[in-house]
Amino acid sequence: MATETQAPTTEDINSVISQASSDGELLQLVSFEVGDEEYAVPILSVQEINRMMQITRVPQSPEFVEGVINLRGKIIPVIDLRKRFGLVELENSDDVRIIVVEIASRVIGFTVDRVNEVLRINSSIVEPPPAMVCGLDTDYVQGVGKLDDRLLILLNLEKLFTAVEIAEIDKSSQAA
Amino acid sequence: MDPSLLQDFLTESGELIDQLDTDLVRLETADSSEEAQELCNGCFRALHTIKGAASFLGLTAVTTFAHAAEDTLNRLRKGEVDVTEQVMDALLQSADVVKGMIEQLSAGEEAQDGPKDLIDTLHAIAEGEAAAADTPDANTPPPSQDAGKEPDAEDNAKPGVPLNLGPQKLDLLEFMITDLQDAAKHIGEAVDGLCNDATLEESANYLAEVCEEMEKTAEFFELDEMTSLIKVLTSVAGKLHDASHEVIEEIAIRIKAAKTLIDQQAEALNDLRALSWPLDTFCSRLTKLAEDGSIDDQVKGQHNGDVQALLILDGVIEQGQIEIASTATVEDTPEPTVQKAETPKPATTDEPVAAPEEAKDPEEKDKAEKDTAGSRAPAKPVTEQTIRVEVSRLESLLNLVGQLVLNKNRVLALTRNIKDQPIPPEMAEDFSDAAGDLDHLMSELQVSVMRTRMQPLAKLFDRYPRVIRDMARMTDKKINLEIVGKDTEVDKSVLEMLADPLVHILRNSSDHGVEKPEDRTKSGKSEIGTIRLEAEHQGSHVRVAITDDGKGLDREVLGQKAIEKGMTTPEKLEQLSDEDVFGFIFGAGFSTAKQVSDLSGRGVGMDVVRTNINKLNGTINVMSKKGQGTTIEILIPLTVAIMPAMVVGVGDHVYSIPLQSIVEIVRPELDEIKSVSGHPVMKLRDIVLPLVDMRQRLDEPPVDDGSRFAVVVAVGGQRVGLCVDRLVGQQEIVIKPLDDTYMQGGPFSGATIQEDGEVCLILDVIQLIRSNSTTVNSETKAAA
Repeated sequence: MATETQAPTTEDINSVISQASSDGELLQLVSFEVGDEEYAVPILSVQEINRMMQITRVPQSPEFVEGVINLRGKIIPVIDLRKRFGLVELENSDDVRIIVVEIASRVIGFTVDRVNEVLRINSSIVEPPPAMVCGLDTDYVQGVGKLDDRLLILLNLEKLFTAVEIAEIDKSSQAA
Repeated sequence: MDPSLLQDFLTESGELIDQLDTDLVRLETADSSEEAQELCNGCFRALHTIKGAASFLGLTAVTTFAHAAEDTLNRLRKGEVDVTEQVMDALLQSADVVKGMIEQLSAGEEAQDGPKDLIDTLHAIAEGEAAAADTPDANTPPPSQDAGKEPDAEDNAKPGVPLNLGPQKLDLLEFMITDLQDAAKHIGEAVDGLCNDATLEESANYLAEVCEEMEKTAEFFELDEMTSLIKVLTSVAGKLHDASHEVIEEIAIRIKAAKTLIDQQAEALNDLRALSWPLDTFCSRLTKLAEDGSIDDQVKGQHNGDVQALLILDGVIEQGQIEIASTATVEDTPEPTVQKAETPKPATTDEPVAAPEEAKDPEEKDKAEKDTAGSRAPAKPVTEQTIRVEVSRLESLLNLVGQLVLNKNRVLALTRNIKDQPIPPEMAEDFSDAAGDLDHLMSELQVSVMRTRMQPLAKLFDRYPRVIRDMARMTDKKINLEIVGKDTEVDKSVLEMLADPLVHILRNSSDHGVEKPEDRTKSGKSEIGTIRLEAEHQGSHVRVAITDDGKGLDREVLGQKAIEKGMTTPEKLEQLSDEDVFGFIFGAGFSTAKQVSDLSGRGVGMDVVRTNINKLNGTINVMSKKGQGTTIEILIPLTVAIMPAMVVGVGDHVYSIPLQSIVEIVRPELDEIKSVSGHPVMKLRDIVLPLVDMRQRLDEPPVDDGSRFAVVVAVGGQRVGLCVDRLVGQQEIVIKPLDDTYMQGGPFSGATIQEDGEVCLILDVIQLIRSNSTTVNSETKAAA
């Protein structure tokens, strides 16, 4: 107790921190739009965000794979999130960006319609994904963040990109 | 434990074990006893080094086991055990066990104890004939090696007394000698500081410290003279503080002299000999100097600062010895290493016998030493000529060079374009000059960097005598392996990829190729089969050929088997050349062996060969004459990272085809393309060439125009024509991995980056050929 009274500043900071952690941790996210929805991924998984660049098509790869790009000498695949989410294709606008993420030592890019902002939200306002979302397998939805005026779909990138693979493999093995 | 120490140990031990393995196999077939002795010593050294390092790192399992093996080897080395197959089996197995332990350690596991029965065998060999050896045989001349390692020049003339130390001390000998040598070095450093007033005090203290330490070392060796000399030094060091400048100089030269003596003693200790000098005068003069600064007039200044002269003055050495002693001092940089490596833990039994015997005949020994020094201790340069570099650093260097090559390509392309621009012609010329220089320098840089990754094939080839030996033992055959051109260098990655294929081919050759001795005699061949493994550079490629003089491949049998496996049809078979038919042996699951043995016959091996060689963009050819033998020839590019390729266009896109696999490019007329059971083929001279519609394979919409090119590619005797729309041109490409799971499945072996920065996929010719033949096969089957 004595130490605490002697060091009020530390106490203040501690209380702030403990309050934060009791309510949940602070999440730093990058939000972007695909179709009509707004999504977000943790900022730490994002390596960089690029303007649209020349994408080389890779024949006989999964349908949602748009192709590969040359990222400063490294060749990485680019996923079309629209196709991945089963949305109609759009003409590429100037707002389209390629978000490059690193997941489990894999570097993958994905295209989004528009990148919105970097924001911090408290994890307490994130709710688990609704039990049933029509037509979508919701594995890769980590939660839904309720902001004042809008909803933010938090994506689990690992599941987003691996679940697909498994589905693909299943499909091909069924076909064979 | 320090992980980097362990890593060093693992790397070094791995290399030593490889060497051990090679030497053991060579030992078995050594022609002369000298060679055998040499090899034996080599093996012993390797094992001893591993043991030493392992015990230092506290790896008990390795130490214990290596010790057991070492005992056996020691007996062998001394000629107390004969080189028999049993002994060699045990030793070779031991090498495997140690290798296993090292692998376990590399994988981050604890090393398992060596197998009990093998240790028992080793002990049995080591002790079996021990009774005979217990009475040292004075008639047996000491192993020739001993003559080489024994004498140093100076103790020839003044032979030292053989040292008798307990076994525990013997174990520590090497460390103590190192201590002594270090101490001598420190003395040298301290003396240099004495002559400078600023550093005098510090150096004197340091000297006193070092001398005190050294006293203990000298006592350990039970060297009374050395101990008293060092004691004198210690006391002198304590008195230096208030000595005059002049006196200190005199003392310094004497300490240097003492250092020389200690160095020589350390040398001699390597051979377990103690030197002795008449040191009394030296010591008393030194003590007197230190006490009252007085020097005998007759000695004063006489030595002119020369250590040898001083030693003569003080009666430590005689006039005639100067030269020898001074050469010894000069040479002492390379000597200790050689000597130390040469000095195995000597067995106490034959040492006392051997040493005086040799001392009798200094001249002969002198000669022996010169001989061995010439053959085994090539003048070792003082500076290090090699450094160990992590592979990852070389990789990143190569990557950067790859980037640069792409960049250079881009600059060259820009330079070509610039000529069409409205700029002054001189400027355009300057530009193209600069670009030309860049091009030139880049290729040199590329070659230099490539060369840092080059390693001699010996790294692989040296393992194979063992493989062949084991094969021969297991199949009761007699096989001689000839190796030619093992100094040929290839890229590290090529080397790694070649390791497995070569083993498979060699196994195949020895199991299926070479016949049993009795069969060989029947067909009029020598009883001993020969497998010849040769390597050479051919332009930008390496050619590796494995030739056996066995029974050769049988076209009929192979063809029959291929039809059974559905790899071809009887009609097609007739059209195939011998080479094509022999190529079937590389098919997965293809084996003519009637039964599967431990050695081969599963039909996996040769498939591995083809897969790996293909990954290297290499080609395999099989040549064989029934009854006379088979040659399997592998051609691989020197490096895999950068290669020339043909860039072709299909639809709106471009793809690269490695030039290596392209045989020719033809332009078939529309009516030349025929269809055989729904598959397009064309007649190319006298063969029917299957065609692959690349538009279809690469998801492009079909077109009807006939202005297409057929790029004829060949892999292992199989040929297909890839139909493409355009030829863009030949280009040097840098291969980038295309390893993400999303990219798998397509017929691509990698990607490269083009002049404009866009990605261009590299077509995997093998996969194209394979998938083509499987579709053909499955359909012919379905039709049947």
